[in-house]
Amino acid sequence: MLRITDNTLTGFDKCLPSKEDLHLFCRLLREIGIDVIEISLAAYEKMEYLPDDGKYILQVDYAEDIDRYTGFYRYTCHFHENLENLMPEIQINDIREIIKLRAISHCRELRIAGLDDLMCNGYDKAMEEIKKNLPNTKVNLNPENTYHCASAMAIQWLLSYGTDVTVSFAGHKNNGATEEVLMALRLVVRHKPNKDLTVLPALTKLYEKITDTNISNKKPVIGKCIFKVESGIHADAMSKNPAIYEAYEPACVGGKSELVIGKHSGTKAVKMKLEELLLPVPEETVILKMLDKIKEVCSDSRSSLCDEEFAQIAAKVGANEGNKIHR
Amino acid sequence: MKEIKYIVDTTLRDGEQSPGIALRREDKLKIAKLLDNVGVYEIEAGIPCLGQSESDCIGEIVSCARNAKISVWSRMNVEDVKKSLVCKPHILHIGTPVSYIQIYSKLKKNKAWVQKNILDCVDISLSKGIDVTVGLEDASRSDIGFILSLIKELKKSGVKVIRLADTVGVLTPGRTKEIVETIKAHTDIEVEMHVHNDLGMAVANSIIGAKAGAAYVDCTLFGIGERTGNCNFYDFIHASEEIFQFAMTKKQVRELEAECYELLKGAM
Repeated sequence: MLRITDNTLTGFDKCLPSKEDLHLFCRLLREIGIDVIEISLAAYEKMEYLPDDGKYILQVDYAEDIDRYTGFYRYTCHFHENLENLMPEIQINDIREIIKLRAISHCRELRIAGLDDLMCNGYDKAMEEIKKNLPNTKVNLNPENTYHCASAMAIQWLLSYGTDVTVSFAGHKNNGATEEVLMALRLVVRHKPNKDLTVLPALTKLYEKITDTNISNKKPVIGKCIFKVESGIHADAMSKNPAIYEAYEPACVGGKSELVIGKHSGTKAVKMKLEELLLPVPEETVILKMLDKIKEVCSDSRSSLCDEEFAQIAAKVGANEGNKIHR
Repeated sequence: MKEIKYIVDTTLRDGEQSPGIALRREDKLKIAKLLDNVGVYEIEAGIPCLGQSESDCIGEIVSCARNAKISVWSRMNVEDVKKSLVCKPHILHIGTPVSYIQIYSKLKKNKAWVQKNILDCVDISLSKGIDVTVGLEDASRSDIGFILSLIKELKKSGVKVIRLADTVGVLTPGRTKEIVETIKAHTDIEVEMHVHNDLGMAVANSIIGAKAGAAYVDCTLFGIGERTGNCNFYDFIHASEEIFQFAMTKKQVRELEAECYELLKGAM
């Protein structure tokens, strides 16, 4: 069974939100299918209590904290004692350090963090080597994202070598991104297809509020503009079968396709937009004139059109052409 | 000795297709010149069939290029191919749907029709002395048997490079390796990786594709492009410069980004 740990809540110590927001963050993580939620001591103290649902890991600095803070599924730390419910963490920054794992093969569980450059250095052999050096250890891989390959490494680990990874929402703390790994698993191995990802926009909004940052418009799975379509060929396909240019239905992550009119739009896209805005659809010659005007305006502004701008162009060109409407 | 890999920059084609930007003639010329100066092997300059001004602009880019090859994108359509050749590109890139969903649902045709049409299009371009790259669209969701049989016919007709397009961005590193290695094992065609970032794996898949034998990697400045974008030029160089030899350094790419930021920020 695959087990995904999200440790975003260990990265909020400098911007700790309210108790309610922390609980809401946990609830939304559980809803999208996170198996285990890891939290820092500071976040736990702010939360005051653990939610009733789900499994939680506490990140601790000292062994005695394990007895002090009870009720957690696991504890993570940077020391390598073989204590009950303890998942020690080791940082490996170079593939040549993998051999050193033999020294801690007594650990029942171990999180390996780092390995940023594994994609260039033969991830398959390195992952085999990790397994070989730790034959009796349950390994949780926490790849880091210096080279923008962390989600890919987490996926390869889950698909071929191990069952446990640690990631964080939006790739917080330089980790693989929770939402990317969840979506890749859903598409590749149909992992948890019944889980509700439609709460992702709410989770994104909460994350942005807590961290006082804006998620990139193009961020995979959660970016605000990733379902906008402009080019003629893609707009045409949208009308025939959206799956032609979509890896998954936007609705399943709480999004929706949006047709944008711009320099790359064709006649079909213009007709579709007119219909969407409940505007009259003129004959082809008028649409071609609209397209000329659209390209001119977009080049001048170096941008695409918003619906209001498009409607104004449609009205103006339509009026000039004497309303040659065919439907 | 590091393996040499060639960057194909598609900022001016796939990148510009991203909603939010519309480059002017002077913008495209400026970006093309900067890409040429930095040592990009090939600049995909646009789609001539978009209109006369686009075609004229691409023609200017071709005449200004000093080192880079200038390619243009065309649909797999004889008329479009003829129009695309007017601006005299060094390379014609023909987008060729190969997945069943694209062939049967988008084109409403069949595999035999695709094969005949692409060979006709290739023939027109090569007869005019213009090299062709065939873009296997949606290759990541395609039947590898059809891809291999099509590549064999393309090779016979004179095509030297195919573009392996992960059109909807669903490849994983393992699957990328499998596809590229299979193509390299069964054919002697050159492979160009063209991946999208829908699952956040564009850089990883480009690295793995190149390691598996792809000589060319498609990138865009800032990773702009449809939906979540394409493979980010800087990130790819940064991630793989230890194992691959490129014509440019990551510092040069950063400087290039700084010069183009204002023109491209609308797509980010």
